[in-house]
Amino acid sequence: MPPTEPPIAEQAPRAGDRMSAAAQQPVLALEGVTKSFPGVQALRGVSFDILPGEVHALLGENGAGKSTLIKIMSGVHHADGGTMRLDGQPIRLGSPLAARAAGIATIYQELLLFPELTVAENVFMGHAPRRRWGALDWPAIRERTRTLFAALDINDLDPAQVVGALSVGNRQRVEILRALSQDARILVMDEPTAALTEHDVARLFAIVRRLRARGVSIVYITHRLEEVFALADRVTVLRDGEHVATRPVAETDRADLIHMMVGRRIESLFPKTAVKIGPPVLELRGLSRPPLTRDVSLTVHAGEIVGLAGLVGSGRSELAQAIFGATPATGGSILVNGQAVRVRSVAEARRLGIAYVPEDRATQGLIRPMTVRENTSLAVLSDLARLGFIDRAAEARLAQETVAQFGVRTAGIEQVVGRLSGGNQQKIVLGKWLAAKPKILILDEPTRGIDVGAKAEIHRLMSELAGRGLAVLMISSELPEVLGMSDRVLVMRDGALAGAFPRAEAAQERVAAAMMGGA
Amino acid sequence: MSDRSAALRLPRLAAHELVLLVILIVALAVLAALSDRFFTLDNLLNQGMLMTEVGLMAMPMTFVIVTGGIDLSVGSALGMCAILLGYSWHNWGFPLPLAIGFALLAGAAGGFVNGWFITRLNVPPLIMTIATLALYRGLAEGISQAHSVRGYPDWFYGLGQGALFGVPSQLWLFFAAILVFGVILGFTTFGRALRAIGFNETGARFSGVPVDRIKLIIYTASGTMAGLAAWIFVSRVSTTRSDMGTGMELDVIAAVVLGGTSIFGGVGTVFGTVLGLLLIQLLKDGLALTGVKGDATIMVIGTVLIASILVTSFAERRRDAARASNPRSPRATTTEGRETP
Repeated sequence: MPPTEPPIAEQAPRAGDRMSAAAQQPVLALEGVTKSFPGVQALRGVSFDILPGEVHALLGENGAGKSTLIKIMSGVHHADGGTMRLDGQPIRLGSPLAARAAGIATIYQELLLFPELTVAENVFMGHAPRRRWGALDWPAIRERTRTLFAALDINDLDPAQVVGALSVGNRQRVEILRALSQDARILVMDEPTAALTEHDVARLFAIVRRLRARGVSIVYITHRLEEVFALADRVTVLRDGEHVATRPVAETDRADLIHMMVGRRIESLFPKTAVKIGPPVLELRGLSRPPLTRDVSLTVHAGEIVGLAGLVGSGRSELAQAIFGATPATGGSILVNGQAVRVRSVAEARRLGIAYVPEDRATQGLIRPMTVRENTSLAVLSDLARLGFIDRAAEARLAQETVAQFGVRTAGIEQVVGRLSGGNQQKIVLGKWLAAKPKILILDEPTRGIDVGAKAEIHRLMSELAGRGLAVLMISSELPEVLGMSDRVLVMRDGALAGAFPRAEAAQERVAAAMMGGA
Repeated sequence: MSDRSAALRLPRLAAHELVLLVILIVALAVLAALSDRFFTLDNLLNQGMLMTEVGLMAMPMTFVIVTGGIDLSVGSALGMCAILLGYSWHNWGFPLPLAIGFALLAGAAGGFVNGWFITRLNVPPLIMTIATLALYRGLAEGISQAHSVRGYPDWFYGLGQGALFGVPSQLWLFFAAILVFGVILGFTTFGRALRAIGFNETGARFSGVPVDRIKLIIYTASGTMAGLAAWIFVSRVSTTRSDMGTGMELDVIAAVVLGGTSIFGGVGTVFGTVLGLLLIQLLKDGLALTGVKGDATIMVIGTVLIASILVTSFAERRRDAARASNPRSPRATTTEGRETP
């Protein structure tokens, strides 16, 4: 199940605390902070404060300045202008270490743990209790780890477990413990639920509430509005590097927040328009690559968006990569426009007009240290070359067009892609594959980890592409997205198809039931 | 910036190459001042001749290291090819031109074996080429049984000791190789693919880059160049011995790395490699001429290598700090795009 509806029951009784909190002095207050990078004004006079024991959500589209703001709070970046006060005293955080010392801990999306070491070793890495002669005091380490566990009511983790064997949710808890072990008073969490299962999300929420009860202040960045309402006391919205508003959560609603984030009301998040469905473009007959692709038969027509739902690990990406030739199928057949074809490599798939926008942008979708220009041209480089020589002018033109067409926010086409925000990176991946002029477009979690505005743009684009006669196969873990965008919904379970629903019959409960299986 | 200027701009000179160029000019000036025999046409051409074998092997090595790989077997492959050249002619009765062709082919085969194991069986390049470093040297010694081959016909020495238009013959080959490899890396789809593989092999694969084929080609090219270097080496020193090229892989790799090619892949130019080669060779020669002993020369070269890398990384850190914009985590600048195996 996608993490759609976190428990909301506990949110009611906090209204009273909030009123009294308004009179308190902020733990950390930023005033009129500005920061610019070459070509980009990342922050323009942003003010932001955190009260003791509050969860303060930070919202904004990708590129709105959230990351820059938290990096200033955590000492990674230095503001060009403005002031920062800790307990009312002006401070200057020269480095991440200084921020830690001031009690500000940050948990990034990429967890920075040592996978080969144990939970306890990770928690106390760098500040372990010592005995004489500087030897590590192992009994104390174990003891203090257990105390921390107890403080957060964690009873299913073993301090001696190796971190690499833990799930993402558990690793995140280790990071939180680590922050706590350094007496963090302010915990900054950057999209902590992006990679979590629903169960882990619920546990994370419990921990966050417990931390708040202990007086820890939490800055919580997310793209999921439900989480704001479930968890936060106040919310601040940034847009294009500017502070739009800070409000108590009780005084705002979903539409209001979306409006503040994008500066306009979004009528519908999923604008799939009805188009004429053409002949079959992609047909799979008994496609197999055990263990995660087993006897899959399906058809995608021109102009059609077929949604592929399923749990994480149900074999959806594996199926896509078999069609795409990245891991060629071992059995069954693929038909493109009615012709049987063999897809043994990505290059062959590309020639057949099959494009795949992978889920994992960082390793599969992009070469992040390369520039916007080099990334947009990579899949079609041979078309841009004569006798193997790259036509630089044509390449630059392609990159400029992609940037313009998708509204990519970048300093220029020579910008390194890894420095763009997530939504802008995703636009580059899409642009790179649309440059190959595909007939079949496979999208794997096309809107994961990107903000509401960019999401709507990508949905609109998908609709437009289907309208132009592309056959689209969309993998998504967000049921509303699958149900809103798809003409048909297919469900995968354990590497095989477990259900098919036409748009009219695809109700959330039925699709979810097919995903989970009969048991 | 307009797209015209971006399109017409030549590959930029990296900070590292500028640093090297400055060091090279300073070294030239100092050495020329210290010894009046150093800055003469004769001496410089002679030095060019001496560095040709290492230089030729450094060309494909630049490609290999740009993809994030390494080829430690080139020195041994040179020894093996030299022995095969001499023995197939002297003991097995091959006509000399055929023996030369045979040696080149053996080099190509040696490189192909590296590439095949690395791409098909996923053996890490470091392990694979350490293994063939031993294997090819063993073959050379086994075949030769410690006998050397001499007495080649006069025409054979033309490549290693002769000259064309006043320039040693092998230097022409070297110039051609620089041009060909430099153009491939700088301007072609092949060169772009090499860099993409070096930065992120999975990403390159998912973009339709034929990663395995490209790797097979560059390791084969590396072996072939070792074969060509073997021919030149034998022709230059007039004899064939099984210990030829011992340790030469380190000279080759040192030049490439000194030239700014990143051992982590993705970054590097042929121009940088040429600067690295020149700097090492001129330091060796210049120090020898000014009476510095061999051991001290090696120490100076090691020091220069460390210094050049320090200066560059210092410059890069300054630049990154100045324009760091939006990495997702503090580590992103060092780890981004690098896949974890």
